[in-house]
Amino acid sequence: MVFPRIDAYSALKSPIHSFDPRAKIISFSILIFSFAFLNDLKAAAFALGFSLFLVLLSRLPLSFVLDRIKVPLVFFISILVIMAFTVEGAELFNLFGLSVSSEGVLLGTLIVLRALAALFLLLLMLGTCRFEAVLKALYMLKVPGVLVQMLMFSYRYIFVFIEEFLSMKNAMESKGFQLRGKSSYSLSILGNAVGVLLVKSYERGDRVYKAMISKGYTGNPKLFIKFNMKKSDYVLASLLISLAFCFHLYPVIL
Amino acid sequence: MKKRAISVESLNYAYPRNKKALENINIEVFEGEKVAIIGPNGAGKTTLFLHLNGTIKSPQKNVKIFGKSIGDMEIGARIREVGIVFADSDDQLFMPTVYDDIAFGPTNMGLSKEEVDKRVSYAIEKVGLKGLENRVPHHLSCGQKKKVVLATVIAMRPKILVLDEPTANLDPKSRADLIKIINELNRKEGVTIIIAMHDVNVLAELADRVYVLNRKIVANGSPREIFSDFTLLKANNLDAPDVFKLFKILSCLGYACENLPLSFDEAVNEVLNTIEREGIISLRASEQTHSAIKEIMNNYSGVWTEGYGKGN
Ligand SMILES: Nc1ncnc2c1ncn2[C@@H]1O[C@H](COP(=O)(O)OP(=O)(O)OP(=O)(O)O)[C@@H](O)[C@H]1O
Ligand SMILES: [Mg+2]
Repeated sequence: MVFPRIDAYSALKSPIHSFDPRAKIISFSILIFSFAFLNDLKAAAFALGFSLFLVLLSRLPLSFVLDRIKVPLVFFISILVIMAFTVEGAELFNLFGLSVSSEGVLLGTLIVLRALAALFLLLLMLGTCRFEAVLKALYMLKVPGVLVQMLMFSYRYIFVFIEEFLSMKNAMESKGFQLRGKSSYSLSILGNAVGVLLVKSYERGDRVYKAMISKGYTGNPKLFIKFNMKKSDYVLASLLISLAFCFHLYPVIL
Repeated sequence: MKKRAISVESLNYAYPRNKKALENINIEVFEGEKVAIIGPNGAGKTTLFLHLNGTIKSPQKNVKIFGKSIGDMEIGARIREVGIVFADSDDQLFMPTVYDDIAFGPTNMGLSKEEVDKRVSYAIEKVGLKGLENRVPHHLSCGQKKKVVLATVIAMRPKILVLDEPTANLDPKSRADLIKIINELNRKEGVTIIIAMHDVNVLAELADRVYVLNRKIVANGSPREIFSDFTLLKANNLDAPDVFKLFKILSCLGYACENLPLSFDEAVNEVLNTIEREGIISLRASEQTHSAIKEIMNNYSGVWTEGYGKGN
C-alpha cells in the first residue's frame, strides 16, 4: 500500500539533503523562530523569498511541495480575509457594507508571509532526511526521552493503523456497505468501526509493551547513532543562524 | 543427566471475566530439547508462553527456568534465559529501523556499542537478511518481518527460544528457511526450543517431543506416538501429517513399514530404502483391504470429510 510520506524524497542529493540532521534541526528551528517574529513586511517578503530559494536548492519536486502546502495555505488565506475585515483602521474599500481596512490587509499579509516562510522551512527540515534520522537527531539533542519515544511510536504505528483501517474499510465495502447513505444506520456502523479500531490499537499497545518488556525495556531505550559533523555542516549552520539574526538586526542598522 | 530448562508445575490461569484458560499444567523441558505444543485454536498456547518469560506472573512461583522461579528473576537475567517470538510481527518491531530493533535487546542488556554491533551483524546474518539494517520495519514483507523478529531475539542469545506459530503466513521458501535457522540454533548452539504450531506436516522436522494442550495438558510423547493416537487427535480437533496418513493406507495394501514416516523427507527415504532392500514395491488388495482403508479414513479425517466411501 502507498502512504503519503513526509520523507518520500529524502534520498535525493542536494546541499540541504547532505546537511547533518542535528545541525539542520538547530539552524532551521532558529530560522523558523526568527521568521515567525518578523514585524516588517519587506523583511517577511524577503524571508519568504529566502525559504523558496532553499526549497529550490533542495530539488524537492514541486508537486510534492504543493501537495504538502495546499491545506495550510487555505487556512492562511482565510486568516488574511478575516484580518482584512476585522482589524480597525483606515478604510481601503467597502464590500457590501463591510469595510476592508488597509491595516488589516497589511497585518494579514505579514502573517501569511511569515507563516509560509516558516512552513517551507519546516517542510525542508522534515522532508530532506529520513524521519528516523530526525528522531535520532532529536534524541541526540537531548529532547526529553518521553517525547522522542512518543514521536517514534506514533511514526512506527501510524502506518499499521492506516493499514488496519483500510483493510477494515475494504472488508466493510466488500460486504456491500456504503457510507454515502448518511443515514443514522450507516453512521452508527461507522462509529462501531472506529470504536473497534480504537480498542484494537489499545490492545496492540498492550502487546507491543509486552514485547518490549520481554526484551528488557526499562523506560529509556538507547539509540546508537552514526552522525558525522563535517566542516561544511558547521559553515552552513553558522551561516543560517547568523542570517536568522540579521533578519532582526537589519532594521536597526539601516 | 540433562538439566531441566523449563519446569511448570500445576499452573492455573484465567483471564479476567473469562473461564479458565489454563488448568493444572505440568510441563518439563530439558536443556537442548525441541518441544512442540499443539492444540486447537484457543487452547491456551499463547497464554502458556506468556508465562514462560514472566510477562504473566504466576503468584505460586510454579514456573521455573533452570530451577529458578521466573517471577523472582531480574529483567536482565530473564532475557538472557528466555527469548520469545510472538505470532504478530508488527507488535514486536517497534523501533525506527531494523538495526535499532535488533540492537534494542542487547542494548538493554547493558552491552557496549561494539558488542551490540557484533550481535546485530551476527543475528542478521543468521536469518539471512544482511543489507536490510537500515530499512524501516513497515517496508518489509511478512516473511522478512518474521525473520527480523527472530533476529531481534537471537541477538540476545537466549538459552531458551520460545516461538508462537513461527511458520504461519509464510511462503514455502521462507518457511523452510525459518525451520533451518531454528534447527541450526538447536544443533550448533544447544538452544532449547519450544514451539506452538498448527502445521503438523512440518512438525516432525521441528520437534522431538510433543505436548498436546487443550486448556489442560492432554498428552505428551514423541510425534509418532501422538499421531498414532487418532482418538486423541479427533478429540482435540487435530490432524496427523498427510504422509503419515498415506503410509497408513499403504500399509493396508501390503506395504510393510516399521516406522511410519512423519514428513515428506522421511517418506522419500523410506521408499528408497525399501526399493533398495527388496528390489520391488508391490501393493495388493485383499478381502479386508477396503474396510481397513475405510476405517483409517474415518479415524483420521472423520471430523472434516463426510467419511470415506459413505456415499457409495
Ligand atoms: N487478552 C485476553 N483477554 C481475555 N481472554 C483472552 C485473552 N487472550 C486470550 N483469551 C482467551 O484465552 C483462551 C486461550 O487463548 P490463547 O490465545 O492462549 O489460545 P491459543 O492456543 O494461542 O490459540 P490460537 O491457536 O488461536 O493462537 C481463549 O479462550 C481466549 O479466548
Ligand atoms: Mg495463539
